[in-house]
Amino acid sequence: MIFRNVNTKSAAANSDDQSYWSIVRRQFNKNRPAVWSLRFLIVLFVLGMSSDFIANEKPYYCEINGKSYFPVFKGVGVSLGLAQWPAELSNVNWRELSYEKAVWPLIPYLPTNLDLKNKDYVSPFADQAVESGRWKHYLGTDNLGRDVLSGMIHGTRIAMLVGVISMSIALLIGLVIGSLAGYFGDSKLKISRGRVWLNLLFLYFAFFYAFSSRSYAMGDALAVSFGGFVLQLLFSLLIFFGIMLIPNLLAGLFKKLPYFKHQLELPVDIIISRFIEIFESVPLFLLILSIVAIIENPSIFIVMVIIGFTRWTGIARYIRAELLKVRSLEYIEAAHSLGYPEWRIIVRHAIPNALTPVLISVSFGVASAILTESGLSFLGIGVPPEQVTWGSMLSSARGFPQAWWMAIFPGFAIFITVTIFNLIGEGLTDAMDPRLKQ
Amino acid sequence: MFSYILKRLVFFLPTMLIISVLTFALSKMAPGDPVKLALGNRDTGEAGGASEKIAGEKAYLEMAEQLGLTLPTFYLEFSSQASPDTLYRFVKKPERDNLERLISMYGNWPQIEAYYNQIHRLELALLRSKQDSTTFEPGRIVRENCGKLLLEYKDRNVSLYVSEVVKASSRTALFAEVHTEAMKLQENYNRMKAEASLEKNYIPDVKWYGFNNQYHRWITNFLKLDFGISYIDKRPVWSKIKDALPWTLSLNIIAILISYLIAIPVGVYSARHKDSVMDRILTIKLFILNSLPVFWIATLLITFLTTEEYGMDWFPTFGLGDVTEDMSWMEIAYERGIHFILPVFCLTYGSLAYLSRQMRGGVLSVLRQDYIRTARAKGLAEGTVMWKHAFRNSLIPIITIFASLFPAAISGAFIIENIFSIPGMGKVAFEGLVARDYPMVFTVMMFSAFLTLIGTLVADLLYAVVDPRISYK
Repeated sequence: MIFRNVNTKSAAANSDDQSYWSIVRRQFNKNRPAVWSLRFLIVLFVLGMSSDFIANEKPYYCEINGKSYFPVFKGVGVSLGLAQWPAELSNVNWRELSYEKAVWPLIPYLPTNLDLKNKDYVSPFADQAVESGRWKHYLGTDNLGRDVLSGMIHGTRIAMLVGVISMSIALLIGLVIGSLAGYFGDSKLKISRGRVWLNLLFLYFAFFYAFSSRSYAMGDALAVSFGGFVLQLLFSLLIFFGIMLIPNLLAGLFKKLPYFKHQLELPVDIIISRFIEIFESVPLFLLILSIVAIIENPSIFIVMVIIGFTRWTGIARYIRAELLKVRSLEYIEAAHSLGYPEWRIIVRHAIPNALTPVLISVSFGVASAILTESGLSFLGIGVPPEQVTWGSMLSSARGFPQAWWMAIFPGFAIFITVTIFNLIGEGLTDAMDPRLKQ
Repeated sequence: MFSYILKRLVFFLPTMLIISVLTFALSKMAPGDPVKLALGNRDTGEAGGASEKIAGEKAYLEMAEQLGLTLPTFYLEFSSQASPDTLYRFVKKPERDNLERLISMYGNWPQIEAYYNQIHRLELALLRSKQDSTTFEPGRIVRENCGKLLLEYKDRNVSLYVSEVVKASSRTALFAEVHTEAMKLQENYNRMKAEASLEKNYIPDVKWYGFNNQYHRWITNFLKLDFGISYIDKRPVWSKIKDALPWTLSLNIIAILISYLIAIPVGVYSARHKDSVMDRILTIKLFILNSLPVFWIATLLITFLTTEEYGMDWFPTFGLGDVTEDMSWMEIAYERGIHFILPVFCLTYGSLAYLSRQMRGGVLSVLRQDYIRTARAKGLAEGTVMWKHAFRNSLIPIITIFASLFPAAISGAFIIENIFSIPGMGKVAFEGLVARDYPMVFTVMMFSAFLTLIGTLVADLLYAVVDPRISYK
């Protein structure tokens, strides 16, 4: 056992010197700004994910009437649907309860709390109407008396979620579409005529049963909660792919007929490339704006999803170009001659080797997704008014030029986040320079 | 070359068609009633007496007719067998949406139609009935509930409203006719529920409406350069665009010109002096410029340079300034210029940074080529090598960027024009979006897509001009 352990370790150390990934990592580590950006990104990510614990209106721990509570932790449980508030604590104003003992978070405000004593833009340096330094608004307040620092911290979470959610969607779409185009090209995908016709026919049925006849179910779920909508959507997708299975099972039977047996070459690459070209000539920002504008109850998650659905073309282009190169390499031919099925070759052998440059595209994509989201909330479109994001905070500086803190801090946060993603992208580009492969 | 351009132009067509269908579909999915928007959300006489109500209805129908909303939406419709092909005749969008909802719940159109018509018959009976002091309260209840019924599909609420109508109409003898109609309504509703045929909702159906439809009318008018009438101020969209386009174009052309003029020498300089102190400083500066969000910089500029608060009130905050007829051209130029400085700066710095970084990269990759070494080896002066051999080829990447700068400039102008209140395309489009003025939004969308396509085509052609190896034969 011990022996084996040692063995694998030394093997890992050996491959460390040779594998493409380890070269990339070594090159990336040489790029100091990129490395620091990565570290800073981790800090931002942790900050964003733990924002409820850093800035919250509730105390960590408190004693009321001899009973002790952990309101912050309880609050997280309640928002996840795992717990419920005890009757004496539901719908209370946490600031005005009488505590025997209370431990408050670092910043004892939520971005939605209105501090009526400090409304109408109170500067960080002004005399604030607070009980003690513990309750100070370190970065001032906005017109409604909301704490700017708390908004900044909670805005971090929004920005990180924008990056993660929208880019995961874009990555998924881009990977599927790009790898189809790149791997099959214009002549590699041969399908029997029967299969093509059957698939087209059943596509209609699949759309009908999965989306048209379920549109009300999905719309109603969206009006209630985003999570419910995702569940309904998954159910629809299940129906869709379930129905699409039928033609592909039937195609085997159809192949026996002479007319349907004929093999067609599907020009996948031309179709997809044209589609990408068309998609890219749509003015994206305007498209996102007009989609968001028609949604009756917009939420930040919907904005993230829409950004994801409109930002996949760059990734698809990258993976297509990469796979066009990869597919003619010898090891793919070897996999073919071993008789592996197409999907296995694509998923297990072709895509992993094409994935590296996609990382670059993703990291620049996150930067632009965050910019788009903050631009939308800056214009006040798609984000409900009570939602505090960096963009919406920045926009409230427009009406009141005296409030320099509203103009500087949120904008600086956007700038820093965009910069670190750009730096990471830059570092990856340098590290993956194709000349290194030789 | 010519045939290549022709081929590209032919490719414009499907692209524009797809974009037009997309924007059209978006506008049809928008919530709210377009006719009411066009009528300026005027009350269509719902609360008034019989004559007012009829006049309101008439105005509504006339406006719907004028906007072409009485036609079917598209050439064909994919729906289920439960929904009739006459649904488009119900012009009022909220009511039609409610009918569609009822169809999805019960699937029996004849009964649903009977129920819907009965609501209107009840309303008419109410209008015709004699009024006195005893009918005032029940009349109000019946009218309000009828209005709610037209927009309600949930069984619990509908049953409640119907029973309230029945109860209220039985309170006075003058409402005898109203009461019989209300009883019929209840009967119709119960029949609709009892005779549901849900299975029809699961039989797909394609309906063909022919060419006399809303989309066809809109796209043919569009090709005839008739873009419709803006809902907001009833001006033709074309004249609004004509007023807005010059501002957007001049802003963007100035910005792109300046950024190319600065970016090329900066890029060449830092490539020639690679790894020098100056190059490093430039690279870092350009990188930072590239990541600065434009709306932040604009906000900062407005906050600090246009107000007296910080003692730097150097520029005007909003708009384009007032130009009167008795001003000399110098004054006009000054007035426009001073208003243009901040927006142009905001539009310039981002593309400037991006362009010079690309230029630097382009020059560097060309300088590594063998033919540059050859040129140096045969003893050419460094200047000749640089400008005659390297420069032209290093222009290629930044010319292609021109194509992507154009759409970026349009969306950049979107934010900038709104921050600085410049009445260009971006501002007009934004106002249209907020007010759901779809004729306006459409047109701007189509225009920007068209400009983007032209930009790509121009870039491809320039490509061939700069690089003789590329030919489009």
